[in-house]
Amino acid sequence: MDQSESICTPDAPRAVVEIDRSMVSAEALLKTCYWFTRDFVCEIRNRNEHVAEVFLTPRNPASAFELASAKNAFTTSAMDFALREKIEAKTSGIRDLLLAKAFSESGVLEDLPEGVFGDTVEEMKPGGMFKILSNPKH
Amino acid sequence: MRLTTMGVAGNFETSIVGILTAESLPPDQRTKRIRFLAPCDASDDENLSGYRALLSHDELQSVPNMPFVHRLRESDHLKDGDIVVLEGNAGLVRSLYRPYEQHHHLFVTERCNSNCLMCSQPPKDRDDVDALTARNLELINLITPHPPYLTITGGEPTLLGDNLFTLISQLKLSMPETELHILTNGRTFAWPEYSRRFAELEHPNISLGIPLYSDSAGAHDYVVQARGAFDQTVAGLHQAARNGIRVEVRVVLHKLTIPRLTNLVDYIYRNLTFVEHIALMGLEYTGYTPRNIEALWIDPYDYQDELEEAVAYLAVRNMTVSIYNHQLCVLRPSLWSYARKSISDWKTLYLPECETCSALSACGGLFQWAVKKHSDHIRSISLSQPGVAQKCL
Amino acid sequence: MARVFYPIERFAPVPPTFHLLPFRFTRLNGKELLVNEAGEFLFVPAGTVQRLTNEQLDTNTELYRDLKAKHFVYDESSSPLLDILATKVRTKYDHICGGTKLHIFVVTLRCEHSCEYCQVSRQTETRGEFDMSTSTADRAIAMMMDSPARAVTLEIQGGEPLLAFDVIQYIIPRAQRQALEKGKDLDIVVCTNLACVTDDILKYFRDEGVKVSTSLDGPAFLHNKNRPRPGGNSYEKAIEGIERSRAILGMESVAALMTTTAASLDYAAEIVDEYVRCDFHSIFLRPISPYGFAIKTRHRTGYEMGRFLEFYKQGLAHILKVNRGGYRIAEVYTQILLTKILTPHGTRYVDMQSPAGEAWNVLVYNYDGDVYASDESRMLAEMNDFTFRLGNVHKDTRRTIFTGDAALQLFQASCNQALAGCSDCAFQSYCAADPVYHHATQGDMYGNRPTSGFCARNMEVIKQLFSIIEENDRETMRILWSWVTGESVRNEVVECA
Repeated sequence: MDQSESICTPDAPRAVVEIDRSMVSAEALLKTCYWFTRDFVCEIRNRNEHVAEVFLTPRNPASAFELASAKNAFTTSAMDFALREKIEAKTSGIRDLLLAKAFSESGVLEDLPEGVFGDTVEEMKPGGMFKILSNPKH
Repeated sequence: MRLTTMGVAGNFETSIVGILTAESLPPDQRTKRIRFLAPCDASDDENLSGYRALLSHDELQSVPNMPFVHRLRESDHLKDGDIVVLEGNAGLVRSLYRPYEQHHHLFVTERCNSNCLMCSQPPKDRDDVDALTARNLELINLITPHPPYLTITGGEPTLLGDNLFTLISQLKLSMPETELHILTNGRTFAWPEYSRRFAELEHPNISLGIPLYSDSAGAHDYVVQARGAFDQTVAGLHQAARNGIRVEVRVVLHKLTIPRLTNLVDYIYRNLTFVEHIALMGLEYTGYTPRNIEALWIDPYDYQDELEEAVAYLAVRNMTVSIYNHQLCVLRPSLWSYARKSISDWKTLYLPECETCSALSACGGLFQWAVKKHSDHIRSISLSQPGVAQKCL
Repeated sequence: MARVFYPIERFAPVPPTFHLLPFRFTRLNGKELLVNEAGEFLFVPAGTVQRLTNEQLDTNTELYRDLKAKHFVYDESSSPLLDILATKVRTKYDHICGGTKLHIFVVTLRCEHSCEYCQVSRQTETRGEFDMSTSTADRAIAMMMDSPARAVTLEIQGGEPLLAFDVIQYIIPRAQRQALEKGKDLDIVVCTNLACVTDDILKYFRDEGVKVSTSLDGPAFLHNKNRPRPGGNSYEKAIEGIERSRAILGMESVAALMTTTAASLDYAAEIVDEYVRCDFHSIFLRPISPYGFAIKTRHRTGYEMGRFLEFYKQGLAHILKVNRGGYRIAEVYTQILLTKILTPHGTRYVDMQSPAGEAWNVLVYNYDGDVYASDESRMLAEMNDFTFRLGNVHKDTRRTIFTGDAALQLFQASCNQALAGCSDCAFQSYCAADPVYHHATQGDMYGNRPTSGFCARNMEVIKQLFSIIEENDRETMRILWSWVTGESVRNEVVECA
């Protein structure tokens, strides 16, 4: 975030967004600001341990309506980045596994099928051609 | 058309497979034949040794000292060249192969590891594999001329284990140009080892027909009455494709498969892009279907929206799709070009309404058991109806 | 033992909980658009992502069944079939396999045109000085054949390559012989303005199975404005050249590409109509090259990108209208994106790949033997920026090229999965990385996404296409699908600058 622009004078029109720090992490906030830096100078200040303030100062003159829209858009975007963080936390392990499977040599990382294979006749044969794989869940 | 008949049998040690002949043949041409004796062929007038067995509609005057079945209940379905099996002293005569028919099947077992609600060949948990394999190997030896297509069916053919490989190898040896199609639930192919061994047979002309009934595992498993079946079938399709085995997907259309039909074809397109063909099939009122009819029945006329949407979905993506077992009067004309005459000859029936129909020659007709249950909308199509002339002339 | 039928609860129990599979999302037209790791998408009601993340989604709904079938969630009642999903992911990355497939040979810099947007041509009659020597050609062919790819495309460019026809005649038989020896398929394309083509040249191309790609910027006034030449008759020469080429090579062997300039931006429909008039069945509404004015003037690309997007939308609407009228013509940029969005496949088009196609899937062999990561990389060198010069055929092997600093730096910035702004983007699977573009326009290979013209353009076009997909007008989708599955758009002629 650029904090040296001369447009950030105390009386320059800007939007102030309040962010609940328990809902949106610093990283998610940074990502949100990243996208807004094209049109705004973004300053983040932690008011206290629960609330962060984001000051959006438009790079080009903006109407009050545009500022209000930007504030709404910022809030929505911040919540979305918070969601993305949660999703990543829940899925990064399986994503790594998935990509490892996708790019590994054929057969190396594959799972064998689960469940029972045969019919009752096959299951009664001790030495049948197929090994019966039984799944404890069934 | 009749498949089996009964008579009184004698002198059988085992089942006998042979080609029917109603004519008298010189001794050196008899080894593969079963001699069908007409009433005027008195059995003591010719020396009958060399034939595999004797058949007669009427009572034979004197008891032969070779395997025979006489006093057949029916015999007008039997023709010269038919290949039949005489099932030992029980007296059952079963037609296995009729050269003049369009569709041919090799029936390999009644066992199955699924139990589909609409199964047209309800499974039996009896190990018939060795007996049927021996019979089928003999049948393969006798089939002449070699047909362009042969469907291997059951039950579940992969339950044969090595015996299926033996049959396929034998077919490869004796009729390599015959295109084989195996109807299987595909579950066994999920085991990579099995798919690999199957591919190693290197039959030049073989494909699998594998049913899939939903994009949702639970719904598919319910239809086939086997837990884990969906997972295994999808994995099986993948392993087969990976080993270069050609696959086709079949969907039987009924109340349980129609609601998510477009979702299913989308699933096939995205996950099973390699399938070379999708067959959308009408319900057969036979086997288990009557017992489960409440859960299954929907008049085909009433699912034309879903069917049209699914077919359009696949067609626009360049996937090959066919509609089987539907009558043209019940299908929307936009779907006629996808309809095939798919009903095996011995199953086909036309209703009285069909007699005046202009589309009769192009239509596949109904199944024989359709007299008991069919669409309420079977009707004669007139030539003046749009699209009829293109399809039927 | 008699068999029993079981009720549905035994097979499809309602799962008490579920787990997420990896996905990205965005908001579009009041809904949420979810995209999974294999690039499959699903439109869901707003609020669904929140419910998914907090595990509050009702699993006994059609929505849940849709999410599960499309690999966004899984539960204990059945396998997530990760191997299937992994296979789908791998299919999307098919373009990585096999190494460099497109090999561009710049046989001369000489050209009799003086197009505004071209940075590279030399106005000289002297042969030799700016032509590829035979020794350079030999080494370049060897390097091309060193690529592991089973099928390679040899694309001959310039300047105006026909001015060095002798070099072309030197290269083609040698390339063909080596392809045969190595068991590779070889496609050959010549990118030419056709102004000096002769029947003899065309017959030679016909006999060698060479295809021709030429420039057609639009109707005469536009084409001639963009492409000045002595006599001011570039358009007339192009049309004449197209007709002669088609007569000798056949319709399928002659393709046309347009270059979009600022002047083109008001004439979308007219350009399309010109292509229709000339019986072409594909047109590529390519974005304005940033290498012409943006670099020299350091002009922000925002305004131009906005105007280009307007141009694209008008062009696409007009093209769809033409298709509805019964004339089949595909728009190539749309086709590339739709292939990524609607089908299980990725794209062979090197400018829209991640990892980026530059260097990996395309190499440019300049007349002097210098090897570049792309055509744009070569243009940068004309402005004394050698960032993307990977080596020289006289000094390097394929190995040293790919392990050299220039290539390695490029590769590090080549995966949009790892770029700021892209790593979370819902359109990641459909978009690409372009380090050369970002270096040229922003001074940084990694790029700044919010101010990136590449991002702005792709994002806006992808949003537009998703709106069309969501609308699901049957005829429009039928037309678009015919572009995706149709055989008449040949990818190998599309890469010509």
